[in-house]
Formats: sequence, structure tokens, C-alpha cells
Amino acid sequence: MFETVSILAFLATFAIIAVHWIATPTGGSRNVIQGSVHVLSLLLIEQKSSLLGAVKKLVYLLAVLSFLVLAITGFYPVLVKGKHISGFGMMIHATFAPVFALCMAFLAITWAGANRFTAEDCPWMSRVLRRVTRLQVAVDDRPCRCSLALYKAAFWLLLFLSLPLILSIVISMFHLLGTPWQHATLAMHRWVGMVFVIVAIIHTYLAIRLRMANAI
Amino acid sequence: MRKAIFAGLCLLSVFLRPAVVATSAEKVVLNRGDGTRARAIHRIPLYAEAEAGEKREKITAETSPALPFSMRGTCSECHVYEHAYDVIRKGWHFNAAEPNVPAGRPGQPWIHVDAATGTQIPLSYRAWPGTFRPDQVGISPFKFTEMFGRHMPGGGPGEMDTTEDAEITRQMVSGKAEINCLSCHDADAAHDQAEYAANVEKQNFRWAATASAAFAAVTGSAEKMEETFDYRMPDTVTNPELIPQVPTVTYRVNTFDHKDNVFFDVSSGVSADRCYFCHSDINVQEHGTQRWQADEDVHMTSGMTCVDCHREGLEHNTIRGYEGENNGSVLAARSTCRGCHLGDESGRPEGGRLGAPVPEHKGIPAVHFERLSCTACHSGPWPESEADRCKTSQAHELGTHGSNKAPNALPHIQYPVFAKATGEVSKITPNKLIWPAFWGTLSKDEKVQPVDLATVTKVVGAALKGITVPRTGDWAPLKEEQIAQALKALGGEAEQKPVYVTGGVLYRLGDDGKVLPPQKHPAAAAYMWPIAHNVRPAAQSLGVGKCIVCHSTDSAFFFGNVAADSPVSTLTAGGMKQYEFQGASHSRTWAFAWSFVFRPWFKVVAIGSVAIIGIVLLLYGLRALGAVARVLAEQE
Repeated sequence: MFETVSILAFLATFAIIAVHWIATPTGGSRNVIQGSVHVLSLLLIEQKSSLLGAVKKLVYLLAVLSFLVLAITGFYPVLVKGKHISGFGMMIHATFAPVFALCMAFLAITWAGANRFTAEDCPWMSRVLRRVTRLQVAVDDRPCRCSLALYKAAFWLLLFLSLPLILSIVISMFHLLGTPWQHATLAMHRWVGMVFVIVAIIHTYLAIRLRMANAI
Repeated sequence: MRKAIFAGLCLLSVFLRPAVVATSAEKVVLNRGDGTRARAIHRIPLYAEAEAGEKREKITAETSPALPFSMRGTCSECHVYEHAYDVIRKGWHFNAAEPNVPAGRPGQPWIHVDAATGTQIPLSYRAWPGTFRPDQVGISPFKFTEMFGRHMPGGGPGEMDTTEDAEITRQMVSGKAEINCLSCHDADAAHDQAEYAANVEKQNFRWAATASAAFAAVTGSAEKMEETFDYRMPDTVTNPELIPQVPTVTYRVNTFDHKDNVFFDVSSGVSADRCYFCHSDINVQEHGTQRWQADEDVHMTSGMTCVDCHREGLEHNTIRGYEGENNGSVLAARSTCRGCHLGDESGRPEGGRLGAPVPEHKGIPAVHFERLSCTACHSGPWPESEADRCKTSQAHELGTHGSNKAPNALPHIQYPVFAKATGEVSKITPNKLIWPAFWGTLSKDEKVQPVDLATVTKVVGAALKGITVPRTGDWAPLKEEQIAQALKALGGEAEQKPVYVTGGVLYRLGDDGKVLPPQKHPAAAAYMWPIAHNVRPAAQSLGVGKCIVCHSTDSAFFFGNVAADSPVSTLTAGGMKQYEFQGASHSRTWAFAWSFVFRPWFKVVAIGSVAIIGIVLLLYGLRALGAVARVLAEQE
């Protein structure tokens, strides 16, 4: 069941992203190659030219690389070969896992402040608060910037998901859990991993779009 | 009136009698237990063997000459022969030579050894890959019984009619080795299976069961008798040198009671001692042959016996107890390690059968239970850097008079060897292993067939005359020149080249008459069979407490060596690593083992990262909660 659900979920995610990309253009070059180079340069060049900013961008890129390696080594044997991860794939997965965990911790500290929700993220929230409370809330008729709100929500969701994702494997390494719980933690790791990958794909897509729109 | 009533009663009895008779017949035919756990006392008459259709002769104190009793004839009075014996002979211990019996999981073969010709060849009637049928090497069922019947409970090849002309009359003298019920079921402390073995080796097949009984003794040797000997007329032997060798039975005084019945102290609950005669082994590397230095299986020390797990009914289809066994009994699946300790999926309470502890296996990733059998961690000796050697009852005639007690006596059996099992359940199991050594012929399509043993003894024995066979029974060292000499003596047609298989390689002659460098060949592959005993306690299982017991670059489980065993000394430096038997590569195995060095750091980094992320979530979560609280309080 996991294989079926995973494949369908990944396909649906990519389909929705493709439709969204086509339906809501951000402007800029329509040429695929030029557009791809533009996107990559956005990812590689840090707009805030400071040492900390550069480190943050590098850690982010390392996290993306680790994520890709972990996703491929984790899902390829299960979805394509129908087998457990093992052998060199397992070793690569286990090597990049702590790297990714460290990157997540660093990004959590450095990006948390910038990803706090504000009133500007949700103009409709301003409208609700003005209607429901007696708070002095300025009128905000801007269109709702769903992408930014969604981007921040994806960030926090990734942080939240990383806890069970990491703990489900680490706890199984101690003399705590018997065989039924070992099965349960492995299942948790798989399912949480699947959701994490989907959220990470959405987060990355939104990051690209928002960078292209100079919103972040 | 009275006449009419009497006539009516007579008529009634005529109709009733068949029903009564039929009921008795049913009670006799359905000769199974009625459910009582009390032992059935056997005070029964003894019967001699009889041909089919002949009346059995009852043996009494006055019978002269004293005849050996027939298990078939004696037991069939109640265990109705025409049904029960023919059912029993299809049981696992007796059906090896039956053509349509599934071979099941490979087991211990019979191993013929001859140090003088460098031979150590696994034989079996069962189609276990890597073994040879006895007839492939010229061993008839009669000869097989003489060679190996010492550690068999009778039946099987022992009851087959020989087709060899030279053996037909010999079989009339020796008789057949019937199924010996007493081998397993005799609860008398004076039962002597070693006497059974000794008599089998003297071709006293007809007398062997009697010799093992507590109340009888057998002297003499059928092998020494002439082919005209009739055991019912021993007085016809007139040669003064042969008279002392005439097979003679002597029943103990007071064996027969007032009804000429004999008390058989038999039990369906077979004691471990009976099983141990054929199924003992000892780690000679660690303990020499001193059994007091070796711990027994944990199940035995816990108070269980062999038959608590290896059960059978009247069909004697013994449950072997491995996963995937196709025994036909519903109890088979529940008599494996998993069946008792973890339970089956039938909905019954899990595990704990017979008081078996239910393991939690804390900290062991579930993949171990998919890749490894229970016995991989729990059975056999603790793996060392070099595989140990052991001796077994069947291979080394343990328990018999005059057995060779030298630790290095052939055959050389090594263990534990962790290899992937063949068959449906392909898990890594511990195995015993021998490296076959035999003389054969190689066909054009590279198939090797063994040369029959009589030819090997005659031709190769003559070619290798002069080699020194150690008194310990170990290999007589062979050099390549001697192998060449023997191969030349064997000769061979153009399409069938003589070869010598030993130590995992094959020798053949080159065109110059010299032996070519040894080469690997499938026929030279080691023969292995999974083991399940002795089971070590949980506290002595592999990986207890530490993953690095197995997952380290110097662990015996993966990197232990299984030396090649051969009379050719240049080969013994070689061998195979354990991971090769598991179908793994050196680089992958080593890399995975090495990665465990970083496992503690992995845990530290992961837990530290989780802590940081958790704190960030908590901090910003509390701030968000504070903002929500202010909004709800309508604070600006």
C-alpha cells in the first residue's frame, strides 16, 4: 500500500506544481533553458551579501543535496525494486542522514525568524480580525499572498516533520523497542518521509517562485 | 414354546455376531492411542521372523535353538502388522530409500571415508544436492546397511531385497535389518544400542534388535558363516573354527513369565538418551571429545526432551522443526522456533508454548528477522575467526565399541558456516560443512561422476601404496605427483577423463601426464547442511547487547575463515570467508561493517539536531501562542 500511495502522491504533487506553474506565470523568460539557468542562479547566489548570509545559503544547498540523496536512496529501492534499502544504498542514506539533520537544525535557527507569520502574509486575516474583534487593524485590500503564507507554513511543517522522521530511526537504535515497535517506527519513518518529501518539494517550488517575484 | 424361544435366540445370535466381530476388527485396525497418557505395559509374547503368509513361531524359554525375535512379528500382535508396520516404514527415519519421498531440507549425509585413497564422500538416498546416491559409487543397499546401519534404527535399505548376485545368499544368512522399535522406544536402562551397532557390523542383521534388548545377548557373526548357513539349524555347522562364530541368542534367566510372555519396558515418550546415540555431536576444537566440557542444548537443560519438539504419530513422520517444513502435520508449523516462541497466525495466544519465553528482541531492527534464521544467532558454537571442527555420531561412529576417539579422525566436519539456505525460505543459517574428496570422471560437458569405491580401493589404493595413514585416522598427506600417479592408473576413455576432487578444487591430468593446476568446479563445492543444535541461552546469542559482535571489520560472522580441508597440504592454506557463503561481496560487507564505527556519532548528531529543532519549535510556538492570546484578549 505504501508503494502505491507514495507513487500516486508524488505524481499528484508534480502534476499540481506543473499545472500551477503553467497557469500562474511569474513573468520572465519563457525559454526553458534560460528559465532553468535563472532559477539555478537564484538558488546559488545569495542576495544578502554577508558571511552569515553566504553560510546560510550554502547550508541550504547542502540540505537540498542531502535531501535529494536521501530521497533517492530511500525511495528508489522501495518503489522501483520493491525491496528494502540495503547495501551501499543504505550506507549512503545513513551517511547523509546526520548531515541533513544538522542542516535542518541550522536552518531552523537561522530561518525561523524570517518565517514568522505576520499580518501582511494574510490580508484576509486582517479582514477577519476587523470584523470579529475591536482591534485597530489597518485596511488591507491587497490580494492574499497565499504563496508566502504557504511557503512559511511549509517551512514550519518541515521542521515539525523532521522530529518524528529522525527520532523514528534513532530510537530504534537503542535497546528500547521490541520487534512490533521496530516495525511501527520503520513504518512511521516511511510515511513521515513521504509527507516530508512532498512538503519539501512544495517548499522548494514556492521558494523558487517567490525568489523570482522578489518576495523573499 | 421353549423350543420356539430357543430357536429365536439362536437366530438372534446369528445376526448379532457379525456386528460384534466387526466391532472387534475395528478396534484392532484402529490401533491408535485412546488418549491416555499412562504408559501401556507390554507383557507380550516374542515371535520369530516369518515369511509372508507363514505362521509366526512363538519364542519361549524352551525354544531351541533360541531364536532372535522379530520386531515386526512381535509388535504386530497389537500394532497390526499389515497396517501399522507399512505405515511406520514410511516415516522419516525409515523412508530414505523410498523413491517418491520429498527430500526436504538438506541434512547430514552418510560419509564414507578412506584415508588410504584420500576419500571423504557424502552419500544419501535422499536427493540432497551435493550428495551422491550409494549406488552411484557401487554401494548396494546390503553393503550400505553393513557400513552405516550401526546408526540407523533399521528399515529402509536394511529391508530392501538385494539385487547383487553375490549378496543374495549372504542376505539369506544375515537376514534383513527390520525396523527396530526398541532403538527409540526401549525405556529400559539396559538397552544397548552399541550392541545393535556391533551386530550390524558383523552382518547380524536378523539378530541386531535382539542384541540391543536388555534381556538378551547375541554372540557370533553371520559374516563369518558360509552361504549355506541356516540360523534355525546351527548344529549343521561342523567346522570347529566356525562353531564359536555361529550367531547365538541367549535370553536372560527369568525373561519369560508363566505365560511365556516377556516384559518390554517401552514408552512412547522417547528419552533423549535414545536420540543421542545417533544424534550427538561434540566440538573437538573446543572440547576435544570430553562432553563434560560442553554445555547441552538450553532446551534440554530447561527440562525438555527431543520429542517435545520432534514429535510424530503412528505414521512416524518426525517433525524436523524447520520453517517451511512440509510435514503434513498441523503441528509442524507450531514446532519451529517461531512456532513455540512467537506463535503462529492462527489466532491462538502468541508464543509461550511449552513454557517457551517470548523474546522481545529489543533494539534489533526487523530486517534481521527477514535475513537471518533464529538459529543464526542462537545455535551452534560461538563463531571464531576459524570455523571449528566437530564429530558426530553418524559420521564418526560415536558411542560404538572401538570408535576412533582422536579429534582429527576423518571425516572432517566444520562449523558453524553461515550460509544462505536454498529453498523457499532463503535466510542465512548456521551449517555444518564438509569438503568432498573423491576420485571421479569428467565428461565432455564438464559433469563429474564418482568412480565406484571398489575400483578406487583397488586401483587408487595400489597406486598410492606406500603412503602413511596416520593412526589418528586423519588424512594421509598427498602430493600432486601421487595424485598424477593415481589418475594415470585410473586411466579413462577419451571422453571421460579421470579427476580428483578435493578441498574445493578439481585435479586433472594435462597432456604431458602431469597434473594441471587445481581449478574450481561445481562438483568440488562444499556440502553443507543447516544445524539447529545446540541452542545457546538468550544471553549468549549473537549480538546480545552489541551490534559490533557481527557488524565490525573483524567479526567472525562475516570475516571468519572456513579452511579448505584436503589431504593435499597446499590447499589447506586456502578456503572461503563466511561472507562468500552468504553471497555477499568483500567491499560491501567491509564498508557496512566499518560504517558502524560512526554509529555512536550518528546518534549524538541526530539527537542533538532533534533537540535544537525541538527547542526552536517550542520557542516560536510559544511566541505564536502568545500572539494568539493577545488577539483573543483584544490587546493591541
